[in-house]
Amino acid sequence: MTAAPLPDVPVVDGIEEPRDPLWYKRAVFYEVLIRGFADSNGDGTGDIRGLTQKLDYLHWLGIDCIWLLPIYESPLRDGGYDIADFLKVLPEFGDLGDFVELIEAAHKRGMRIIADLVMNHTSDAHPWFQASREDPTGPFGDFYVWSDTKLKYEDARIIFVDTESSNWTWDPVRQQYYWHRFFSHQPDLNYENPAVQEAMLEVLRFWLDLGIDGFRLDAIPYLFEEEGTNCENLPRTHEFLKRVRKEVDALYPDKVLLAEANQWPEDVVEYFGSGDECHMAFHFPVMPRIFMAVRREQRYPISEILAKTPPIPDNCQWGIFLRNHDELTLEMVTDEERDYMYSEYARDPRMKANIGIRRRLATLLENDHNQMELFTALLLSLPGSPVLYYGDEIGMGDNIYLGDRDGVRTPMQWTPDRNAGFSTCDPQRLYLPVIMDPVYGYQVINVEAQMRSSTSLLQWTRRMIDTRKRHPTFGMGSYEELGSSNPSVLAFVREFGDDVVLCVNNLSRFAQPVELDLRRFEGRTPLELLGGVHFPRVGELPYLLTLPGHGFYWFQLATVEE
Amino acid sequence: MPPNAMTTEIALLMEWLPHQRWFGAKGREIHEVNRVAERVLVEGDPQLRHVLVAVDLGEDTETYQLLIGRRRELPQRLEHAVIGVSGDELLYDAAHDAELTHVLLQMVAEEEDEHGLRCRHLPGTELETDLTSIVMGAEQSNTSIVFGETYILKLFRKVAHGLNPDLEITRALAEAGSAAVVPPLGWLETELETPEGRTTTTLGMLQPFLRGASEGWALAVTSVRDLYAEADLHADEVGGDFAGESERLGAVTAEVHSLLAQTLPSRRADQAENAATAKQMHERLDAALAVVPELTPFADALRSAYDEVAALPAGVPIQRIHGDFHLGQALRVDEGWKIIDFEGEPARPLSERTALMSPLRDVAGMLRSFDYAAQHLLAEQPSSHGLAYRANEWAERNREAFCDGYARASGRDPRDDAVLLRAMELDKAVYEVVYEARNRPTWLPIPLGSIERLVR
Repeated sequence: MTAAPLPDVPVVDGIEEPRDPLWYKRAVFYEVLIRGFADSNGDGTGDIRGLTQKLDYLHWLGIDCIWLLPIYESPLRDGGYDIADFLKVLPEFGDLGDFVELIEAAHKRGMRIIADLVMNHTSDAHPWFQASREDPTGPFGDFYVWSDTKLKYEDARIIFVDTESSNWTWDPVRQQYYWHRFFSHQPDLNYENPAVQEAMLEVLRFWLDLGIDGFRLDAIPYLFEEEGTNCENLPRTHEFLKRVRKEVDALYPDKVLLAEANQWPEDVVEYFGSGDECHMAFHFPVMPRIFMAVRREQRYPISEILAKTPPIPDNCQWGIFLRNHDELTLEMVTDEERDYMYSEYARDPRMKANIGIRRRLATLLENDHNQMELFTALLLSLPGSPVLYYGDEIGMGDNIYLGDRDGVRTPMQWTPDRNAGFSTCDPQRLYLPVIMDPVYGYQVINVEAQMRSSTSLLQWTRRMIDTRKRHPTFGMGSYEELGSSNPSVLAFVREFGDDVVLCVNNLSRFAQPVELDLRRFEGRTPLELLGGVHFPRVGELPYLLTLPGHGFYWFQLATVEE
Repeated sequence: MPPNAMTTEIALLMEWLPHQRWFGAKGREIHEVNRVAERVLVEGDPQLRHVLVAVDLGEDTETYQLLIGRRRELPQRLEHAVIGVSGDELLYDAAHDAELTHVLLQMVAEEEDEHGLRCRHLPGTELETDLTSIVMGAEQSNTSIVFGETYILKLFRKVAHGLNPDLEITRALAEAGSAAVVPPLGWLETELETPEGRTTTTLGMLQPFLRGASEGWALAVTSVRDLYAEADLHADEVGGDFAGESERLGAVTAEVHSLLAQTLPSRRADQAENAATAKQMHERLDAALAVVPELTPFADALRSAYDEVAALPAGVPIQRIHGDFHLGQALRVDEGWKIIDFEGEPARPLSERTALMSPLRDVAGMLRSFDYAAQHLLAEQPSSHGLAYRANEWAERNREAFCDGYARASGRDPRDDAVLLRAMELDKAVYEVVYEARNRPTWLPIPLGSIERLVR
């Protein structure tokens, strides 16, 4: 391994020059489950080559960056988040050669690839842990957090309350307890040990050298422990992240670090530092709030959370999403709202998990296309970089009868053919069955059919992404909500220099009128972005618009030519 | 101004005033209009004058505040505000003229006195003055001018002699640190002669403009509409459930009441005051029965509810209250609820509006408002029995939630004072019955239905 990027290899790719160091602020992200996307070798499990073969599709859709769930060697007791070797690809997915090919093929198309990386812990199958338990005085003896007593760090909460009773587990080999914030088969690394910090930086360099464009850093609030604290978000954790950022910036231009910290925005902003920690972080609460606002038919659930969101450094960006591979997280809503979300969206108890709801976008919205479009329009226009979850662009369904979170991780539906075109294997060999119900089944919902129909959700989503990308304000611009007397209408202006876009969303299922105070833009002629239709000029009187149920408008407010 | 121009202007005003939404004596004969005070605020063309006129209605006289603009040529945007032609000039309502209104803002910013028209702001207030204005909506007794997206100036059109209770109360609450009101920034006032002597009289109030705010009424109706669209779901099952909002509104109301009791006069009523309260209720009922015969079947039940109030022991807490509390007086902003318009019932004399009363009167007002929100869509369209049942369920759910929130924040559940609360609700409903019978007969079943349920 070298400490510097491979200098001999000329960078020949389709990433536009000059390279935009803030590319992630304008990018549209797409979350891919390699296992579920495309199977190139017919073994029933998706693989890296399969994804490489589908890059043209994602490029056509307008995706800028693909986010991969863990790709590493793992016993797969926690979906790959239990890493057994940081430097190897899970054999079912392929090998390092496949991965490098994927990166190159993506870069050739001007797309980027980031991947999940778990820094906090490893699998207990990792050689570091095996060495640590067997040889306490050896080079890895101090790689994990060992203790003779369980009576340490007692203020740290237990995260997986359903399965774990303590953050400490007894190891019969070393005759000591080891510390784990997640499952007991995932021992936490000991970041007090400089060798651990070095080893992890080495892991980052290894992948960056292969050309990866960044990482989603999983479970980062928990790196350090300190007696008398809840062992989350500690100052030394931030110090280490600053060091990581510095190393990455020094050696690799325009990479991105995305923090996964499922906390309130006012706490998450700490992971931006002063623009010197992570580039991006997920905005978790905005998603349940969008669902809530549409159910309530009023804008305040969204207005409230955005008003509470603190400003972030200029070189940072929120990641926002409607659905992802986890459940719809409800930690970010009040108890009363949580009960309500449960009763509204998950009438069947099997749809619930931990403190969330396991459904896809289409099934949560009962396959209502108007709502799917409204939600997607919100995702693409609210402040932050949108992250689409694979399959949601065609309105894929889920299978609530599958265990854990597998219900939303079924094979991507490409065609109406066998195994939805995902794999040529014997259908019984699939890692999970394809969706087969009469509404969401692959015979009805698939990429091939929707590519042929210009009115499909897929074609519509592509047009929306395209429109978004033609207006840098969606990624870079300020956000200002416009009040109106109609609480069912959420109207806001995104402004970035001359690029001014007005978004008006009807959160109600009924047609609504709204009068907007647009005096600031008096004299401008709104241009509807999807159809290119000119609307009446803005005067000094309130601007009247009428919207159909769950309708929305995106208007460009171009400066007046005198 | 030549004398004939003055007479023309008076004649024009006599013609123009009765058509204004804020004119309180519609349908009554105007005997005479006299200028009580007049100041030129802007010279030249356009000219701006601040004018107070006394409108003689025979039995009584009402005072109105006018901003009169004068131009030789009127831009099209002001055509809707024309008062009339005077000589070769046009008179118009200058509240609509953004070229002139910023003068008022400047006067408040600089605390100017213009021949007895005093403009004041709170200490430490810095105002932006280069904002263009627009008149917002139509209100019954005021005109609100919004400057930029920053301030709102409420001009009291019908001038009530004395300190305006909205200014008095919001200022007191804001100074006590309440986040539940919109704090005043400044005001306009003048000295007026009254039979009791000269009184300082508020003419306008400047406040921050809440851009993202919605009226509670609009929000509640959104929820009700959602309920109606469901075939058979109950109020606690539908997406648009409003109970959470109602509960928070109850809590904010309790906070405001408790701060009002601390910062402005409050005491406990003696037995005689209970009797007087009951007597007023009886009197209102007498008057209502004379107008609306549909009330007759409930008269006995209403009277016995009022008699229970008369029999209450001494010690009922009384204080300054909102006085005209309903869902339209609550604004939802991003952070929660704000309560506005602490003016009491505008039709009543100032002395009554500032009298100490039980805060339960406000609670009763809001409970009535929930009923209205639930029922009024039914009054506007044909509906089924099932819908009426569920509408009532919605009202009940939100009334309970409001009381829960109030009880949580105040430590005292308004439902524990059932005798007084019920009587006040009935009293309010009787007032509504008269109002609907006169103005919106199709809505009459709403308050009548409520009375039927309450006395059952």
